[in-house]
Amino acid sequence: MEKLSQEQIDKALKILKMPADSKLVTHLNACVHCGLCADSCMYYKSMKEDKFIPARKVELVASLYRRYCTLTGKIAPKLVNARDLDEKMAEEMVDILFGACTLCGRCVKHCSIGVDIAYVVRIGRQMLAAMGLVPATLQATVDAALTTGNNMAIPTEEFVDTIKWMEEELIDEMQDENARIPLDEKDKNILYTLNPREPKFFPLSISAMAKVFYAAKESWTLSSTMYDVTNYGLFNCNDEEAGIIARHLHDEVKILNAKMLVLGECGHGSRANRWEGPNYLGMKYDFDMITVAELINDYIRSGRIKLDKTIIKERVTMHDPCHLVRNGGLLNELRFAVKSAVNDFVEMNPHGNDNFCCGGGGGQLAMSEYNDRRIKIGEIKAEQIRKTGATIVVTPCHNCVDQLMQLNHHYKLNVKIKSIGEIIADALVIEK
Amino acid sequence: MAQIEFDGDGFLVNPGIWNVDIAVEIAKEDGIQNLTEQHWSVIHVIRNNYLEKGMAPMIRVICKETNLKLREIYELFPLGPARGACRIAGLPKPDGCV
Amino acid sequence: MNWYHWIALGALAICALVLFAHFIRLIRLGNPTDYSKKSGSVAKGVAYSSTVAMIDHKESAYLHIPTYFAGMVYHVGTFVSLFLFVFFLINIALEFTLPLWLKWILIAGLSISTLCGFVLFVKRLLVKNMRNLSNLDDYLSNLIVTFFQGMTIGYLLCPCVEAYYYIFVSILLLYMTLGKLKHVVYFFAARYHLGFFYGWRNTWPPKKVK
Ligand code: SF4
Ligand code: SF4
Repeated sequence: MEKLSQEQIDKALKILKMPADSKLVTHLNACVHCGLCADSCMYYKSMKEDKFIPARKVELVASLYRRYCTLTGKIAPKLVNARDLDEKMAEEMVDILFGACTLCGRCVKHCSIGVDIAYVVRIGRQMLAAMGLVPATLQATVDAALTTGNNMAIPTEEFVDTIKWMEEELIDEMQDENARIPLDEKDKNILYTLNPREPKFFPLSISAMAKVFYAAKESWTLSSTMYDVTNYGLFNCNDEEAGIIARHLHDEVKILNAKMLVLGECGHGSRANRWEGPNYLGMKYDFDMITVAELINDYIRSGRIKLDKTIIKERVTMHDPCHLVRNGGLLNELRFAVKSAVNDFVEMNPHGNDNFCCGGGGGQLAMSEYNDRRIKIGEIKAEQIRKTGATIVVTPCHNCVDQLMQLNHHYKLNVKIKSIGEIIADALVIEK
Repeated sequence: MAQIEFDGDGFLVNPGIWNVDIAVEIAKEDGIQNLTEQHWSVIHVIRNNYLEKGMAPMIRVICKETNLKLREIYELFPLGPARGACRIAGLPKPDGCV
Repeated sequence: MNWYHWIALGALAICALVLFAHFIRLIRLGNPTDYSKKSGSVAKGVAYSSTVAMIDHKESAYLHIPTYFAGMVYHVGTFVSLFLFVFFLINIALEFTLPLWLKWILIAGLSISTLCGFVLFVKRLLVKNMRNLSNLDDYLSNLIVTFFQGMTIGYLLCPCVEAYYYIFVSILLLYMTLGKLKHVVYFFAARYHLGFFYGWRNTWPPKKVK
């Protein structure tokens, strides 16, 4: 790594020196090095290298804090392991904070003190982002979203063609000219959003949701330009860029005058819009945002759609996306949707707030350089799935879907991976 | 294949060096022992699109040009169009959640 | 009062002041502003975080029963010793004599907690992972506090060590302001922020899986 300039260092340290509230100072002072978080992290669990222990990740940032922001660290750095911010340190930070954490937050819940480890890792990433040290692969995905409005740089006509294609298929299947996938229509109830990998490579989940909307007689629309629910700014931790991306959807709701923003099946995207978006933009949103699962539950509870549980005969399990469940409070919302559609449902062990990440979170899917680690830590999830005996794994996150597809292949699980929209569409009874 | 460079995800670092032999080798890694005519038709569409436009084609384009159904493509490439087909066609890794 | 009482009193004042300053700083920095629409209850989240969450299916506890238990006992011993220290100071004026049975219970209890502290120290020293995670302050803090409990036993057994006892406690109190022992403040702050975060998002208090 090149020598850090003083300007880079100053920018990074500013994040530590000017805390906005008491949260940062708290979490940087709280870890007591008891080491009991080690076994909660899939990186340590699967590779047993002590640099992967969550506390070591906190320590990277906290040691800088002590060096530059505490008296003891300034006077006697050796005593409290206060470290200088130099190339070696920065390199270590990139490798560990970007390359060995999925920001799943599992360790947080298990820490004996209550250190928000994932939050501290994100602060560390913020510092690296301020120094321009985000891994190029991850930054490329953010840049694509910044310049084109979607993280796969799909040109608008190609997107529109795909949606038209899916609409034709839907009309065919429903045998109804009114089975539509509306684009850019104003004054609808719902602006629906997608993960770009759906139109690009896996459009069946789009038609599945269109079928659900059709059955529920929903007034909805997609945008032909701003439909991307993802926000990799949550992962490169450049809050300014994350804010620009979050604004895309916020403004599109306004332009199309939709009543509500429905967040497509994407864990981090839901978090980035629902929980972080208003904070990136520093304002409350004057419309509601809900996830697909919550919307579908409304349909089921109010009888707007009918499901037949006997259609799906296979055993089904669910993978809890970290940002929807542990970091999003949707534990039972997700279960209600899935259990309404299938008979034979089994939980993984552990599950819910205590689940293990699929291994692809935190931007890991985008960062090729850490691919081996990603597949290795995924073994935990793979074995969890295997033990359930299920043949279908449902997960409301296309990022998880991609990781699970790879795990399925690599660890020879022989399962099908589906989104919630797809499993609901499969169980849907269309009343004419 | 020792001299050929892959990124951490197994995608070609230099897509320019791609050739039929490399495709066959990558396919084997993915558990595809024999590349059938159908496989090749998908691979060629992806490859040509990449050479022309600098990116992987939409799945719609692949379906249209090969006359294959979506589900058939997913069956041909168990790792999917991105990690499966695009990798075999020697493209760099696409951005986003793939 | 003797000179060493005055020193201890001074150290206590400095320690309390510094810790209080840390506390005030946290209060002044304040809560994070969250513009997102709250879906749970911060109050309930914080209540859960500061109580049940500490034992509710926590891996740092149930995967590490011996360590966790030793840690608990050690902390209880520390607080008892601190409490006794304050009592001793006040007792200079009160001149109250501890009943013998209580004295022996305290000595027995503190012996166990001192042992726990020592075991934790040895563990930190011997286990590679722990060693790589630890800095000088971790060892020193552990040693000083363990010694402090030992000194308390000593003083309970024999008033003759009084001067040493007070001087040692003074060192401990001053050291407390420098390093990790400050977690006596930050522990509670961390529990609060965690409860705030998970409470806001309706993750805590946890729901039963339906
Ligand atoms: S957030 Fe997840 S991946 Fe990161 S250190 Fe904690 S447990 Fe490990
Ligand atoms: S469990 Fe918490 S306090 Fe203990 S070492 Fe891990 S992060 Fe630090």
